[in-house]
Amino acid sequence: MVQYDREDLASGRVRWTDLTPSEWRNRDERGIAELKETGIFQPFEKEYFRKDGSRVPVLLGGALFEGRSNEGVAFVLDLSEQKRTERALQRSEAFLAEGQRLSSTGTFSWRVATDEITWSAQLYRIYELEIGVPVTLELIRTRVHPEDISLIEKMKMVDQARAAGNDFEWQYRLMMPDQSIKYLYAVAHATRDENGQLEYIAAIQDVTAARLSEEALGKIRSDLAHATRVMTMGEMVSSISHEINQPLGSIANYGNAARRFLAAEPKRLQEVDQALAKMVTEADRASAVISGIRALSRKSQPERVALHIEELIDEVLALVHRELVSRQVVVRAEFGEELPLVRGDRVELQQVLLNLVTNGADAMSSSSGSRALLVRAERSEQEPDSFVDVCVQDSGIGIHAGELDRIFTAFYTTKPAGMGLGLAISRTIVEAHGGRLWAEANNDGPGATFHFTLPAAA
Amino acid sequence: MVDDDAAMRHSTQCLIRSIGLRAETFASAQQFLKYKRPDEPSCLVLDMRMPGLSGLDLQKELAEAGVEIPIIFVTAHGDIPMSVQAMKAGAIEFLTKPYRDQDLVDALHDALKRDEAARTEQTKLRDLRRRFDSLTPREREVMGLVVSGLLNKQIAGELGSTEQTVKFHRGHIMRKMQAVSLADLVRMAASLSIPHR
Repeated sequence: MVQYDREDLASGRVRWTDLTPSEWRNRDERGIAELKETGIFQPFEKEYFRKDGSRVPVLLGGALFEGRSNEGVAFVLDLSEQKRTERALQRSEAFLAEGQRLSSTGTFSWRVATDEITWSAQLYRIYELEIGVPVTLELIRTRVHPEDISLIEKMKMVDQARAAGNDFEWQYRLMMPDQSIKYLYAVAHATRDENGQLEYIAAIQDVTAARLSEEALGKIRSDLAHATRVMTMGEMVSSISHEINQPLGSIANYGNAARRFLAAEPKRLQEVDQALAKMVTEADRASAVISGIRALSRKSQPERVALHIEELIDEVLALVHRELVSRQVVVRAEFGEELPLVRGDRVELQQVLLNLVTNGADAMSSSSGSRALLVRAERSEQEPDSFVDVCVQDSGIGIHAGELDRIFTAFYTTKPAGMGLGLAISRTIVEAHGGRLWAEANNDGPGATFHFTLPAAA
Repeated sequence: MVDDDAAMRHSTQCLIRSIGLRAETFASAQQFLKYKRPDEPSCLVLDMRMPGLSGLDLQKELAEAGVEIPIIFVTAHGDIPMSVQAMKAGAIEFLTKPYRDQDLVDALHDALKRDEAARTEQTKLRDLRRRFDSLTPREREVMGLVVSGLLNKQIAGELGSTEQTVKFHRGHIMRKMQAVSLADLVRMAASLSIPHR
């Protein structure tokens, strides 16, 4: 244990006191005093020097033989292995604690039969409770967000967990005393101890930061989409104001005509009636244009509703009709038979269509040939039951094979006044809907075709 | 009236009917160019911005073809350079939508009055031309010298004729041209752009 041999001892080279490091000498003396007084000394831990100067941890205990004051027995137990294990355990505990702290993950165990709950320190920190206070389901309840409590109760999650003994995961929120919200993600694993008693071991991660940045990212995306939408609207403002001024001018004309028909002698009532009917039609036309614009410039979180893609296409084409006419673009819409409804956000999908249609018109602005734009919606060739394919085909300058994918990169643009965001945002929108957006060169003639797919509403 | 917007065409037609006038409408400049105008006072209400041939293009084309018709421009854009160009090319009014109906009514009356006056002028000129055409070559020669302010004696000298003969021609000229005085004849000659010395 201390690396000396019998010869070292016999020759007197080993001195008892030299074996003990100086900081342990006091302890030794107390042990000797105890021995003298009571005839026994309780085992205690200390260290000895080895022959090579290194230290060995030991447990030392001893007693005098009864009735003898100078003869007894002592034992020295090498604690090296135990100490190593202890250190390793401490280290791994430290690793675990640090790991829990760094990953904001706490752990707990729940013995279902006894409701005995054990938490890791990090879990106390996540719940902002004093480390070590006894954890009960009632205490946990005071921290869980009221809305999530009612959900948990409605789903009888606790009862199910008691009965089922399956692994499960769930997401929930905490509401702290200062009303701040934490988002937690929990995974629980069911085990049975040797007596067959159910115990859950669970990891709970505080995902608040990730959740908030995700929300912020979503908001940025939606703000950006809004900005480009407003920009597109800005570009079209003159043609849009025309769309509104036309019906307004017509209404004024009919109104003035009606007053004159009324002032005539005799009154020309039939013509008054006709003029009034026309006024109503034109007022409806103007408000349709305005609601179209308002919908496009509206800023709100995307929603998912079942939509007629045909309607959506018609609305967008009506909105850009004037612009296309002034650019001498002939536009045609084709719809497959019995198209399923698609699920999506009306405004976002209108934005995608608006972008593809104006891109198509832009691509043809320098072409001297016929400027034909085709918008077609039909069931997807590959998955006719679950997807609708919408394509916008132009006869413009086309796209080089090498650029077919690059055009979807943000800030990549071939237009002098473009920001290069339209297609990038369109693709993001389509993908968020569960569809795809891609471009193809036309096989039979100049120009390009943009396709996007949308899942059919179930 | 030429406007590519159907509602605008119909409503303007309705308004024009309400003031007791008749309107023909055309969806494009090309359509209007094919139309055979009736021989009566008329004017053209023209939308500035149309696909295909624009309002300004049509104005130019009509001028080149020698078609004289007062033009009232209507635009939704209040485009000043365009309106200046149109007015320079002879448009009589430039209305920005939405316009007051009275402005259109006034412009229509004004345009029709102008067209009527121009038509009267045209008729007068055609009449005058017919009268002038009825003169003999000699009489036309004498008329040129008369309106230049030469005395009968001087004209006789010029033509190697007698004063008596010149007087005789002069009487014929005044009667055929239905001129009441020398000043009247001079005005007629000016209208006909007869060369004089």
